[in-house]
Amino acid sequence: MPDSAPSPPAVTVENLTKVFKSGLGQQAFVAVRDLSLTVEKGEVYGLIGPNGSGKSTTMKAILGLLSPTLGKTTIFGKSSIEVESRRDVGFLPENPYFYKHLSGLETLLFYGRLCSMSGRDLQDKAREMLILTGLEDATHRRVAGFSKGMLQRLGLAQALLHEPRLIILDEPTAGVDPAGSRKIRDLIMGFKESGITVLVTSHLLEQIQEVCDRVGIMAHGRMVREGKLDDLIAVENETELILADASPELLAEIRTLAESKGARWIRSGHSRTTLERLFLESTEEPKQ
Amino acid sequence: MNSNSFSPARIWTLAAATVTQLVRMKIMAFLIVFCIIVVAAGFAFPVMNPEQQLKLLKDVSFGALQIFSVVIAIVSTALLLPRDLEDRTLYTILSKPVPRYEYLLGKLMGVLLLIGAGLILMDIAFSGVLWLRQSLVLAQSVTALKQEGVATPEAIAQLNEFVGKQGLTWNIHLGVLAIFLKASVIAALSLMISCFASSTLFTVVISLLVTIIGHGQGLIREYFFTAGMNQIMKKMGSAMLAILTPDLGIFDVLDNVINGEIVSAFSAGVMIGTAAIYVTGYVLVSHLLFVEKEL
Repeated sequence: MPDSAPSPPAVTVENLTKVFKSGLGQQAFVAVRDLSLTVEKGEVYGLIGPNGSGKSTTMKAILGLLSPTLGKTTIFGKSSIEVESRRDVGFLPENPYFYKHLSGLETLLFYGRLCSMSGRDLQDKAREMLILTGLEDATHRRVAGFSKGMLQRLGLAQALLHEPRLIILDEPTAGVDPAGSRKIRDLIMGFKESGITVLVTSHLLEQIQEVCDRVGIMAHGRMVREGKLDDLIAVENETELILADASPELLAEIRTLAESKGARWIRSGHSRTTLERLFLESTEEPKQ
Repeated sequence: MNSNSFSPARIWTLAAATVTQLVRMKIMAFLIVFCIIVVAAGFAFPVMNPEQQLKLLKDVSFGALQIFSVVIAIVSTALLLPRDLEDRTLYTILSKPVPRYEYLLGKLMGVLLLIGAGLILMDIAFSGVLWLRQSLVLAQSVTALKQEGVATPEAIAQLNEFVGKQGLTWNIHLGVLAIFLKASVIAALSLMISCFASSTLFTVVISLLVTIIGHGQGLIREYFFTAGMNQIMKKMGSAMLAILTPDLGIFDVLDNVINGEIVSAFSAGVMIGTAAIYVTGYVLVSHLLFVEKEL
């Protein structure tokens, strides 16, 4: 008999409220208020908001690092309170740090063993992750000597090591140079293609825009806007037309036609590249 | 929680990482200092009589062993949890399928492994020096008897027995075991305090204070719970004292060992049982505190 029960979403947050108790005589701090969101399987969901808006608290609640004051969170249908719910999750915290005395490879072996991996499989997977994140040269180098960008990539490698179905990334590109940042963005695109669910927070809105299917905007502990990225950022009454090799005469004709039909011509001009793309084109070494 | 989630392999992974972390913090440099102290004590004061020489060597060595174990138990345990939290290493560990009690057990086991290995190495060095000193003292004493013309077989046998009692015996290792058991209790206590403490310094100071009070429980009972106090008050006071501080006096068998007295199997059993009860109790309370901790 076919299983008709729908599979649970990757993440659910239901009416989450988190209150941090303060010292005597001080008011309690409400970090998250009645927040609800759902991340479907295979989706890339971006959670954005200013500092102190409750993004990290929400992520910690999803990971079971904080217990909700009210409401509940689940991962693939399992309550976040259950340790088992973390079997399918890889987490990269903001500005991660690892045991200084371990090398890149030893760090991954340590995290792999915590996920019940062992032997040749673990060795191979750890080396594969180092290559994937561009850290193969740092395999035997102590973490104490890693740059911020390398630590971030090592954090990503440990998050991916046990092949999780959900990856939670808290400011994955914080402190990383544009090339490293692009690399991380490409990895996220790769996860999306492989059907891995991604929940990401970032201050770099341009990056969120590039990789996310849906976005939630938080402010003062509440969700203020949520929806498909295309729906949220589309300007309803404006249309974009991009042409290549258009002569000035053709543009003049299009403009005349548009205005004759009652449309308002807002602007035209050369398309611009992004500063990031320019930086990468200028600094990337030519391939031999 | 899933009943299958307990994993000794994960605990071992955490314990091994803790040991390497502490070793690379140069904590074991204490071992070298210890060896220098033992060797210096072993060959100092040659003018003393044989009994005093061997007693002094044991006294100094056991003192160094106690300091090593108590300092490592308090400081290293107090450092581990806050440092993992500060570096966010705790987030990456606990976001894996690792129950919080496994993390605590792994950390405690790491500290105990380090103390245990350190004590074994120091015990070996101490035993070696004591045996050498004992042989030297015996040879010198026999020579002295011969020079005095009183080296009768009875006198030599008596000397052998006397030096043997003060020299290397299994009692020495029981003394080291007592030190390890006491350090285990103190490490578990520090772990519990670090689960609710706001800083490493707070953990170190409170652990040290409780350790000092724990050593003087007998004196406190004697001094404060006087004959004028009624039985209920005495019992309540004793119970409060026992809850707040461990009775570390139970592990104080070193004076007996130094004086060459035998530590009975019963005393050793009491020490092991008491340590097990304290460590289990402190780990349980640590878990209750840590499981509720907001990270």
